[in-house]
Amino acid sequence: MEKDKKKLVLIAIMTVILFLGVLVGAFMDFSSNMLDTKGIIFYLIPLILVVFMAFFIIRRYRDIKGGMPLEDERSRQVITKAAATSFYATLYWLLAISMFEPFFAKILFGTKTLDAGQTVGGAITGMAIFLFIFWIYYDEKGKLI
Amino acid sequence: MKNRIKEFRARYDLTQEDLAKKVGVRRETIVFLESGKYNPSLNLAHEVAKVLKTTVDGLFIFEDKK
Repeated sequence: MEKDKKKLVLIAIMTVILFLGVLVGAFMDFSSNMLDTKGIIFYLIPLILVVFMAFFIIRRYRDIKGGMPLEDERSRQVITKAAATSFYATLYWLLAISMFEPFFAKILFGTKTLDAGQTVGGAITGMAIFLFIFWIYYDEKGKLI
Repeated sequence: MKNRIKEFRARYDLTQEDLAKKVGVRRETIVFLESGKYNPSLNLAHEVAKVLKTTVDGLFIFEDKK
């Protein structure tokens, strides 16, 4: 139980760091007049993640307080399956990024091509979104095998 | 795979949360188990059967897939 509490505190600290990062980044962009519509979308995704994590932490805290574990065999199966599926989906996402590179570059950054950092960033963001979606999907689905 | 968890739970006047605590799993796992949507590991099946004072065979109804 103590281990579960420590794990939850670690998740809470990471969420707070992410939230502060988004806040500082958005404030810096706003103060230098760089916060446009694309920028707002860029900051909105991690902000949604923070809100989701806050709900997750509160719910799990109540469970731990009530004597239930933070994770069990089913929740471990859910995250494993979500991770495997999101990895598989990311391969197609990377293929889409490379095939439609001029489109993404123009829409997101107003350039002709994407540099390495933008491509890797896009891939990681896509993977995180896939993981989030598949995690919710498998958690609600029930039947895992 | 069907099961008689609900029936046994009622017999011992246990809520899903009580059973989850006794078995050491999350409440959702018991919900999915009870509705037949989740197939437990042999260890978990044994643990649930032990808490409900029955056997794995008595708790879970195995169906032939043919």
